Amino acid sequence: MNFFLNGPEAGIQIRWIPRYSSLERFLHWGHAFTFLPLTLTGMVLFMPLLAPLARGEAGQFIRLIHRASAVLFVAVPIIYALLEPRRLLQTLRDLKFGKDDLDWVKGAFPYYLLGRHVAMPPQSRFNTGEKLNVVILVTGTVLFAITGAVMWFGRGLIPVELFQACVIIHDLTMIATVNMFIIHFYLAVVHPMMWQSLISMRYGYVSESYAREHHAKWFYGEERAKEMYAAEKAAQAKKEEMV
Amino acid sequence: MTNHWVDLKNADVILLCGSNAAENHPASMTWIHKAMDERGAKLIVVDPRFTRSAAKADLYAPIRSGTDIAFYGGMIKYALDNNLYHKDYVVAYTNAATLINPNYKGPVDLDGLFSGFTPGDDPNFGRYDSATWSYQTDAEGKPLRDETLQNPQCVFQLLKRHYARYDLDTVVKVTGCPKDKLEAVYKLYASTGAPEKTGTILYAMGQTQHTVGSQNVRAIAMVQLLLGNVGRPGGGVNALRGESNVQGSTDMALLAHNVPGYLAIPTASRHPTFKDFIEKETPKSGYLTNMPKFFVSLLKAWWGDHATADNNFAYDYLPKVENAADHYWIALFQAIYAGTIKGLWIMGQNPAVGGPNARFERLALQKLDWLVIQEIVDTETVRFWQAPGVNPADSKTEVFVLPAADAMEKEGSIVTSGRLIQWRPKVAEAPGQALPDHQIFNLIALKLKELYAANPGPFADPIRHLNWDYGANLDIEKVAWEINGYIAQDIKDKDGKVLNKKGDTLNSFGLLQADGTTACGCWIYTGYFYPTDDGEGRTMPAAKRRGQKDPGGLGNYPYWGFAWPANRRIVYNRCSATPDGKPWAEDKKLIWWDDVQKKWVGYDVPDFVATRAPGDAGGKDPFIMKTDGKGWLFGALNEGPLPEHYEPVESPVRNLLSGRQNNPAIKIWKTNQGQAIGDNWGTPDKFPIVATTYRVVEHWQAGGMSRWLEWLTECQPQMFVEMSKELAAEKGIKNGEWVKVRSARGEIEAVAIVTARFKPLIVDGKTIHQVGMPWHFGWGGLATGDSANDLTPHVGDANTAIPEYKAFLVDIRKAV
Amino acid sequence: MARMAMLIDASRCMACRGCQVACKQWNDLAGWSYSKTTNRGSYENPRRLSPQTWTRIKFIEYEGPERFQWLFLKEGCMHCGQAACVEVCPTGALKYGPLGIVTFQQELCNGCGYCSQFCPFHIPQLDVANKLTGQAKSSKCTFCQDRTTNELTPACVKTCPAAALFWGERHEMIAKGQERVAVLQTKRGFPNANLYGETELGGLGRLYVLTERPAHYGLPEHPASPVLSRLWQDLIQPLAEASFGVGVLVSIAAFFIARRNIRMEQVE
Repeated sequence: MNFFLNGPEAGIQIRWIPRYSSLERFLHWGHAFTFLPLTLTGMVLFMPLLAPLARGEAGQFIRLIHRASAVLFVAVPIIYALLEPRRLLQTLRDLKFGKDDLDWVKGAFPYYLLGRHVAMPPQSRFNTGEKLNVVILVTGTVLFAITGAVMWFGRGLIPVELFQACVIIHDLTMIATVNMFIIHFYLAVVHPMMWQSLISMRYGYVSESYAREHHAKWFYGEERAKEMYAAEKAAQAKKEEMV
Repeated sequence: MTNHWVDLKNADVILLCGSNAAENHPASMTWIHKAMDERGAKLIVVDPRFTRSAAKADLYAPIRSGTDIAFYGGMIKYALDNNLYHKDYVVAYTNAATLINPNYKGPVDLDGLFSGFTPGDDPNFGRYDSATWSYQTDAEGKPLRDETLQNPQCVFQLLKRHYARYDLDTVVKVTGCPKDKLEAVYKLYASTGAPEKTGTILYAMGQTQHTVGSQNVRAIAMVQLLLGNVGRPGGGVNALRGESNVQGSTDMALLAHNVPGYLAIPTASRHPTFKDFIEKETPKSGYLTNMPKFFVSLLKAWWGDHATADNNFAYDYLPKVENAADHYWIALFQAIYAGTIKGLWIMGQNPAVGGPNARFERLALQKLDWLVIQEIVDTETVRFWQAPGVNPADSKTEVFVLPAADAMEKEGSIVTSGRLIQWRPKVAEAPGQALPDHQIFNLIALKLKELYAANPGPFADPIRHLNWDYGANLDIEKVAWEINGYIAQDIKDKDGKVLNKKGDTLNSFGLLQADGTTACGCWIYTGYFYPTDDGEGRTMPAAKRRGQKDPGGLGNYPYWGFAWPANRRIVYNRCSATPDGKPWAEDKKLIWWDDVQKKWVGYDVPDFVATRAPGDAGGKDPFIMKTDGKGWLFGALNEGPLPEHYEPVESPVRNLLSGRQNNPAIKIWKTNQGQAIGDNWGTPDKFPIVATTYRVVEHWQAGGMSRWLEWLTECQPQMFVEMSKELAAEKGIKNGEWVKVRSARGEIEAVAIVTARFKPLIVDGKTIHQVGMPWHFGWGGLATGDSANDLTPHVGDANTAIPEYKAFLVDIRKAV
Repeated sequence: MARMAMLIDASRCMACRGCQVACKQWNDLAGWSYSKTTNRGSYENPRRLSPQTWTRIKFIEYEGPERFQWLFLKEGCMHCGQAACVEVCPTGALKYGPLGIVTFQQELCNGCGYCSQFCPFHIPQLDVANKLTGQAKSSKCTFCQDRTTNELTPACVKTCPAAALFWGERHEMIAKGQERVAVLQTKRGFPNANLYGETELGGLGRLYVLTERPAHYGLPEHPASPVLSRLWQDLIQPLAEASFGVGVLVSIAAFFIARRNIRMEQVE
């Protein structure tokens, strides 16, 4: 937390590696801070428990906030894409999934959830979880935008069945993205081990040790990372044998 | 109506022809539905288009507007040929058996004319002398009759001969109604000729607003007499009056040819003296031999103590016209346009929208020196000089607008189509300075009296002596009492004992006298303001009663209000019993002869001398107003004694019944020929489409009471013209687009409603299209539109001059 | 209190619009100044229900195999026993009320428009004041709740001159309707006459006696709550709430477990 608020203390020698550009951070925070009001206002319309908040003038205002936030929610990624198209394309190319991702998922339960230091397969710039996060959020944004636009402008112009379908898809997308958000928030902010991810999104840097541990393929390159992983797995296996 | 609204529930067949009850009298459908649901009655609608009434009917038949006499003539022939007429009734109660003057000739012999015709300057039109249409009488003047109905000069045989030309195929050719539909209508309606059945015919402007309008109604009456339906529950000749108190206004003679109670109006040409009037207008027999009593009592009401035997009851005070016909509506507007009439006083009427040839009439208004108009909103007549396209400088008229209270804002009585008088309280305050019409008149009368008292001039007595004692703020009940009738002078017996005190209210017109001892503002109303029991022990003026007892269950409700005359709910009700005095049918028994009590008893006030037995002289003469006591199948009107089909003045085809194209007794006005407005006639080459006008439930008359209201405007916001899909296809017109409708008198724009409810008709082998328009619209208010009456002609019926609003020629094209 | 219903006998209705106007008069609704109707080639106006028009007459010209008919249908909220609008309304403005009335409290409406999209009869109509901000209101027939809960009939029923409208306990209205259908079929020559609304959607509060099949009047032959609204209410909402709940709880638990494990590892 100290680091988050104040940055690196003078005197401590840490080698910082740039990870996120300022525009990427703008994209992240912009998206996050529009996602929150969207979720909250949307929840008021979605959950019967919150019905009292949805009523009358207050309810009209909540719908207005939802729409205004939605506009920004869609605008932010579009602005990013216009300003940093090459980095965006690179990121999209990085969203490849392979066997390491499957192993990562298997290891995620003990490693992230329970906090046990098991050997995780090497990750590229984005680990499996982060890749999943991006995929789900990008898909979600697109689905939200389309269904939302239909519900906003299409009333009276489209068959009611289409409107109804959009409501359902909007709902399902919301379930997926909010659940994703809960996981993301936990891992990125709350998890005792992952405090550096938060710093990285604020300042754009991660420490060398962090990069080496969590994004070996990015730090060392793919070949070397794979060798190191194999060695680590062998060492661990020997350790277990001895015990 | 000879019957009344609630009585409709007693009918076995209901025929709506020339009327649209569901549209314009929606409350009546309660009773029509009751007849249909409880008695299994059938509803027939005959109309140029499929209306909201037709939507509820068992049988709908289309008809070309203006061919109703052909329709009824065909029905008469059908009933006679198939022996469906009510024989006993016809023989006993009508003049079917009466012999007619041997010199009488009809259209069969004279190619469309009756005997006694003298043509005018235009040989197509002229006047009749009815001398040859008289009865054959014996030495005492009693009509000769042949009760076997075989004598070739008896009315029955003349009727048969007259309508022999109205066979089914000819009627189909003239009306355009498909043969199967026509026959189905005839069969169903003529079934009411059975003695235990009755049928009712409901008619309205669709029958009356034609140049043969009066004969249309005559035809209805004849059908009802032949089928034995007059004077019986569920029967009768029933007019659906078009305005909420028009019945009251005609009772009180807002007509050019009457004084109150449908008495003749004295004219300078025929009745210069009182003696002339009494002699010429009192028939030799029938109930109207009492006419002098009613007339003198009327004069007594008007001039009070100044009307005495010495001055012929102030007869000379009464202003007299030369000819009543010069004062009918069309004549008035011709005179206004010509500048003969300089000032006009209008109350609650909107001629700018409602008058025939409305463009012409609006131009006429501009010629007035002054106009006084009593109205509730700024109608198109109030603001005639500001109409779109009119330059206000063209009009030099000084206009006085008197804001009037509307019906809910004043107390008084109203009379329904069924002659039922109901007193209504005031339920709302009039806004601003608006006053009830009666108070406006009161103020003017009082002011006139004041002015004439100060400055009499040569003949001030009619005004100075006018009885006007209703108070500075008019006491409406005092007026009602005067109309009802009262004792004007103490009536003493030969010993000087007072039998009736001056000021006593009269309860019957039977008590009216011709000697000045009684006063009565309208003889048919006597009794309506007399304190009467309401059936529940409360006593009040009869018209105020709301008693709900209905002895007999026929819906007469004798304790509710007062039905003139004498609270008779169904007039001519002697007909509801056989010549021997027994009911024709158990479930339709209305009155019958009680041999023990030696009087007529039952569920209505007998329209007959109560103690006159069926076997007595006159015991089988139910039509007491007629000189012979019989219903007149053969009876004179200006254009003949029997209805004969003539085409409307603007018609797309020649008359197939005779060589006479139009009613020969109508007046054709000859003003302003050559101008773009006025009396121009359309011919089928330029105007091939038959047009008619009608109303819709959402709007009221010329619109003053509905087009300013937003709820009604929302329902019916704009002027429209309805046409068949076939006609629309021919003209390339799509539903909902604007079109122009043009007649020889003007052009208007309207939204086209293209509908399956109008179908083209085959008339004499030709395809004829009909279109229809509501006549409610004008440029004022919220619901604006062009006025259909810009298209209608300035020509009217031969007897009443009612304009031919319902059948004229137009052409249609897209507006852009 | 017994469930009430309105029986509308379309065979008696003559489209006089008395009901349309009486409703506006009683409920203080606006007319032409609001809707600015024009004639589009029909007597039918307004052309749809709206927050200012809670009932209206539909005019349908039907060329049947046996006869031509001009059908009239008084349209308005069906007051369903199982109302999709109540289920999807996020504010509770639409509720099941007394006497079987589906009540509507306009102050609570936030203009989301779900009711108008999920009603199988397309009854509630939204009037959008601002398409951008979404400012809107809905409204619909309330069966004159202020009158009917005080032993009076709805304003439309009171005014009808054709005796085509009836108000009473639902089972009585059903019996009356069935009787009328029998008369129409056997005595008036309408073999297709039917009673609409008896069992559909939990039974409708608005019952129609029709002379022809419902489809000719523009009514769905088998109205049902939209599948998607069932899906939404019965499946998705609970699923969402469950998943969020689980997610949050697991996160909290995981925090403590993970922190403990990490500390232990550090100690190691």
